[in-house]
Amino acid sequence: MLEHVELFFKSIFVDNMVFAYFLGMCSYLAVSKKVSTAVGLGAAVIFVLTVTVPLNWFLDQYILQPGALAWLDGNRATPELSAYADYDLSFLSFILFIATIATMVQLVEIIVEKFSPSLYNSLGIFLPLIAVNCAILGGSLFMQSREIETAGLALNYGFSSGIGWFLAIVAIAAIREKIRYSNVPAPLRGLGITFIITGLMAIGFMSFGGMLTGGDDAAPSLEGQPEKVGLQLEESIETETAQAAVISE
Amino acid sequence: MGLKQSLHKMKMKYEGTKMAPAFNAIHTFLYLPNETTHNGTHVKVADDLKRTMNMVIMALVPCLLFGIFNAGYQYNLQTGEVTKALSFFSTEFWNFSNFSIGAWKVLPLVIVSYGVGLLVEFIFAVIKGHEVEEGYLVTGMLVPLIVPVDIPLWMLSVAVVFGVVIGKEVFGGTGMNILNPALTIRAFLFFAYPTWMSGDKVWVTGAVDTVGQPDAISGETILGSLAQNKGFADWSMMDQFLGFIPGSVGETSKLLIIVGALILILSKIGSWRIILSTLVGALSMGLIFNGVVEMGWIDESSKFFGLMNVVFWQHLFIGSILFGAVYMATDPVTASQTNKGKWIYGFLIGFISIMIRVFNPAYPEGVFLAILLMNVFAPTIDHYVVEGNIKKRAKRLKVKTA
Repeated sequence: MLEHVELFFKSIFVDNMVFAYFLGMCSYLAVSKKVSTAVGLGAAVIFVLTVTVPLNWFLDQYILQPGALAWLDGNRATPELSAYADYDLSFLSFILFIATIATMVQLVEIIVEKFSPSLYNSLGIFLPLIAVNCAILGGSLFMQSREIETAGLALNYGFSSGIGWFLAIVAIAAIREKIRYSNVPAPLRGLGITFIITGLMAIGFMSFGGMLTGGDDAAPSLEGQPEKVGLQLEESIETETAQAAVISE
Repeated sequence: MGLKQSLHKMKMKYEGTKMAPAFNAIHTFLYLPNETTHNGTHVKVADDLKRTMNMVIMALVPCLLFGIFNAGYQYNLQTGEVTKALSFFSTEFWNFSNFSIGAWKVLPLVIVSYGVGLLVEFIFAVIKGHEVEEGYLVTGMLVPLIVPVDIPLWMLSVAVVFGVVIGKEVFGGTGMNILNPALTIRAFLFFAYPTWMSGDKVWVTGAVDTVGQPDAISGETILGSLAQNKGFADWSMMDQFLGFIPGSVGETSKLLIIVGALILILSKIGSWRIILSTLVGALSMGLIFNGVVEMGWIDESSKFFGLMNVVFWQHLFIGSILFGAVYMATDPVTASQTNKGKWIYGFLIGFISIMIRVFNPAYPEGVFLAILLMNVFAPTIDHYVVEGNIKKRAKRLKVKTA
C-alpha cells in the first residue's frame, strides 16, 4: 500500500513528465492557449497513459524481456529451464509499445468525436498526435527501464504520470490566459514566452526535487574526505583485479 | 524648491528624447509632478503604485535595521565580544560594535541590489520608451533580506539581473510577472550557488573564512541542527521570537515581522486572508507530523524525527515561514486574485512549506519554493474559483426565472 502512495506522489510531483523530463512538449506548448482545451487534452493523455502503461507492462513481462517467453512451454516460474530462456525480444519494444499506443489513441479519438464534437474540433490535429507524444511513449519506456514490479504499480504509474502532465498543462494554460494582455516584447510573443514560463514553472516544481528519494546523495557537502575516497577506489580496483584473476584461472 | 525646479528643467530639456523616462522617474519619485490638472474632478486616491511600494518598504525597514544589528551580534557573540542578549532592548544587542560590523556587511547588499536592479529597469524603460516602473522598489529591498549575509556581491548582481529580466521584464514589466521576482532571484542563487545559500557555514558572517581554524565560527541555523536531530542547540524560545538567531538577514525577528504585518494589514496592502491561511496551513501540517510521531510510526532512528517532533506551533518561530507569509505570499501580482482563491493559495503555501522543510533533506527550508510553486498554480486556482462563481450564479438565475 505504502509503495503505491509513494509511487503516486513521486510520479506526479518529483518525476513530473513535463517539469522533470520535459517530455510531451509539442502538444503541451501548442494546446495550452485555453484552459478548457487543455483540460480536454490532459484528460485524453491521462486516459491513454493509464491504459497503455499496464498493457505494455504485460507485453514487456510476457514477450519482450529476456526469458519472458518461458510461459510458452509452461516454465513461467522457472524460466531458466525453458527452451526459450535465451530469447531476448527487447529490440521490439519500440514497435510494440507504439502499436499499443496508436491503437488506444484511435480509441480515444473515436470516443471524443462521438461524445464531445466541440472538444474534438478544438483539439484538432493534436488529438491523433498524442500517438507520437513523447510523454506517452516515455511513460512506457520508463516503466520498462525502472523495472516496475506488478501490473498494479504499472497502472498506478501510468495514471499518476498522466495526472502530472494534466496539472502541468492546465497550470500553463491558466497562466497563458492571464498574460494574454501583457505587453510582452515582440520577439518573445507566443512560443518564446511560453518556453520561459515553462522554465520558471520548473523552478517552482523543483521544490519536490529530492523529496521521497532520500536526497542523501544529492546533498552537497563541503567536507568531502578525498583521501578516503581514493582508498575505497583502490580497494575496489584491487578486488576487481583479484576477481578477474580468479575468473581467468 | 531648488531641487524640484532644477529637476523639472532637466526633464523639460530632455523631453521627447530617449532618456526622458529616466529623468521623469527621478522627478516623480521625489516630488509631485509640476504639471497637474487644475479643472474638473478626478478620482482622488492617495495609494498610487509609488505610495503602495513605499508603504511596504516602511514595513520592511524594522526588519532591515534588526538584521543589520543581528549580523554583527551573531559574529560578536561567537567571538566572545558580547554576551547573550536577554531582553529585546538589551545593550548587548543594540550597540555600535554590532551595528558597524552588520552595516559593513548588509548595506553593500542593499546598495548592489538596488543599483543593479534599477539600472536594468532604467535600461528597459529607455529601450521600450515607457515610464520607469516602480515594481523594483520593493523587490530591491526584499532581496537583501532573504539572502545569507556572506553572499558574494557578484553572485547577488548576477541573480538580480536574471530575476529582473527573465522574471519580470520579459513579461512586460511590473504587474505582469507570474513569479515573485525576489523569490526568483533567491531561487536562482539557491540552485546556481548552493554552497553559498545553504549548509552550516553561511549564516553568520565570517564563518566561511574561519573553517578549520581553532576559533572557527559556526554558522548553523536552528533548522540545520534540527534536521540533524541535534535539537534546538542553545537557542531559547524567546531568542527565536525576538530574532537573536542566525539566519537570512531579515527573517529572524518574528516580533518585527508581526509589526510589519500589522502595517501591511492596516494599510490594506497585504491580504490578511493570505497571511492567516498560510499560518493555518503550516500549523495543520505541523499537527499531522506531530500525530505521526505520536502514533509511533516514526522513531528516533529516522532522519525525519528531529523536525517531525517539533511541536506544531514552534514551526512558526523557526525558519522563514512568517517572513514568507507576510512579505512574499501577499505579493498582489503573483498571488491569487479572488478571495476564495486566496484562502486555498495561502493554505497550500503553509502546508507545502512545512512538508518540504521536514520531508526534503535536500532543502533545509522550503518556504520560498512553496511560494514559487503556488505562484505557478495561482492562475489555475483563480480560473476555477471564477468558473465556480459563474456556475453558481447561472444556477441561481435559473431558479429565479423558472
